[in-house]
Amino acid sequence: MGPRLAALPPGAPSSAAMDDTPRFRPHLVPRTRDGRIATIAFVALFLLAMPPMTHLVLNRVQPQVLGLPFLYVSLFVIYVALIGVLLWAYRRGV
Amino acid sequence: MEAWLVATGLIFLYLVATIILGVVANRRMTVDLEDFLLYGRKAGFVVLYLTVVATFHSAFAFLGSGGFFYSHGIGFWAAGTWTLLVGAITYVLGTRIWALGKAFGYITPADLLADFYESEAVRVAVAVISVLFTILYIQVQAQGLGYIINVASGGRISFEVGTFVLLLVAAAYLVAGGLRAVYWTDVLQGVWMYAAVWIGALVLAHELFGGPLELWRQVTAERPDLLSLPGPRGFFTPGMWIGMTITLSFGIVFQPHMMIRYYTAVDARTLKLLGATTPIYLMTLYIPAALVGLGGALVLPDLAIPDQVFPELLFRFAPAWLTGLILAGATAAAMSTLDSILHANMTVLTRDVYQRYIRPDASQRHYVWVGRVIVVALLFVGYQMSVRTSDFLVVLVTLSGSGALQLMPGIVGVCFPGGRTLTRTGVLAGLIASMGVLYVTLWAVPHPLGMHGGIWALLVNTVVALGVSAVTAPPSAATVRRVHGELERFVYGTDN
Repeated sequence: MGPRLAALPPGAPSSAAMDDTPRFRPHLVPRTRDGRIATIAFVALFLLAMPPMTHLVLNRVQPQVLGLPFLYVSLFVIYVALIGVLLWAYRRGV
Repeated sequence: MEAWLVATGLIFLYLVATIILGVVANRRMTVDLEDFLLYGRKAGFVVLYLTVVATFHSAFAFLGSGGFFYSHGIGFWAAGTWTLLVGAITYVLGTRIWALGKAFGYITPADLLADFYESEAVRVAVAVISVLFTILYIQVQAQGLGYIINVASGGRISFEVGTFVLLLVAAAYLVAGGLRAVYWTDVLQGVWMYAAVWIGALVLAHELFGGPLELWRQVTAERPDLLSLPGPRGFFTPGMWIGMTITLSFGIVFQPHMMIRYYTAVDARTLKLLGATTPIYLMTLYIPAALVGLGGALVLPDLAIPDQVFPELLFRFAPAWLTGLILAGATAAAMSTLDSILHANMTVLTRDVYQRYIRPDASQRHYVWVGRVIVVALLFVGYQMSVRTSDFLVVLVTLSGSGALQLMPGIVGVCFPGGRTLTRTGVLAGLIASMGVLYVTLWAVPHPLGMHGGIWALLVNTVVALGVSAVTAPPSAATVRRVHGELERFVYGTDN
């Protein structure tokens, strides 16, 4: 530890010059095919577990599944699918 | 044997086990600050997994989640969304934090932010937020511990004595073995609490209803209001669902006791596997919690304090050994969070305050001993806060869950290269604005328009940070190249 931490003394001014600031390709946008698949699948599934889907759709389906409320079961299935996406990403080295 | 004696005996048996682990950890420890504070950055998958899940799930998850299902019904199953998000955040962001920590020797969250934004003011602001908003959790967990032991002993051990003894045990093994002791006891705590809540819920469901499916059937017949959104009291509105999802994922991950865990992983692949699998534990813990809460709503419909539904059911309907096993599990849930918060506060105060501003050039042994003294001081502060609560403390505790969330714009700015970077002035302005908004939206006018107050503060924080950053100087080109270049190499194996 210690020595490799950038040693900026307390109160030291920055000599930043905006023009010199290096630009990197955005990391928020996945660059590989597997990365895009994992991101899109996770976001799409996650949105199914968020309003308005939860309150306007899942909440209004009446039939029960194995004696359990549809809302509860459907959310459980979505959660398991999301874990599946994370495990798939791990196995593909994303 | 009487139930209280079995329950109290099992809790003390559990405490003895944690102390033994602390002593063994002490014998394995070297006099080195990284070893004491960061487990030597060598935490493997099993240890890291159990410490993360045990730390994430506090006494609230153990007792409070049952109370939430009891009061507000199935809406609390939203818990799955924030546990999944914690996994994804660990996978994507945690690995980046680990990489920067390893490359530049970071120990605390403030190290990361102050280095990139080149600002001691940012360091101080982050350290203050880190300590202020988590030290309050010591109070919450310590009060939970006092309550548990008071209930387990049937009132024979007072709340004050119970709180003090359990705080003392947590501080003792932390002082003895540092983060290694915390991690090893968390392994025990993580296994115990998971087994306890599942066994307890299944036994109660069989005893009272003939099984979990029959429990669900009876809830459907007798309390259908508990099985739809927004719940019987209208709590789980869309805004609250989204707000809790964000504040209880990002907001907890950005607390120092969780962020520091990312620095301790042995490698990035371990952290990715951790991210992919932690939701399995975190999410499935709420399945038995639903059985407890919903079943309790049928059997004990008039509880004054809903959070007491689990212990109340146990004392009335479960055998003594099971009650003891589960209350020891509740103790484990509270202590695993408490010891991690004590450790995180010790780390921040030792690293960001003492080493940075008071004695920058002391020996490793000196800092380890300073850390131990700080733990003892925190022990007494935590105890005093637990037994002498005040209106001001109540306000701060209300704010605490959303406080660390406000570090999000700054951390994202460091960990995701691309586009224009935030500036030190922008990050500071955003943090200051968000603290004011937090006070208003969590306390003065709670959750305006049905949206969680923490989200309002985060929105204002982000807008202010971006706006101010647009007109102020960014970090130096050398620092951006060094930090973002490291991330570019780590994630993509390229220089740009």
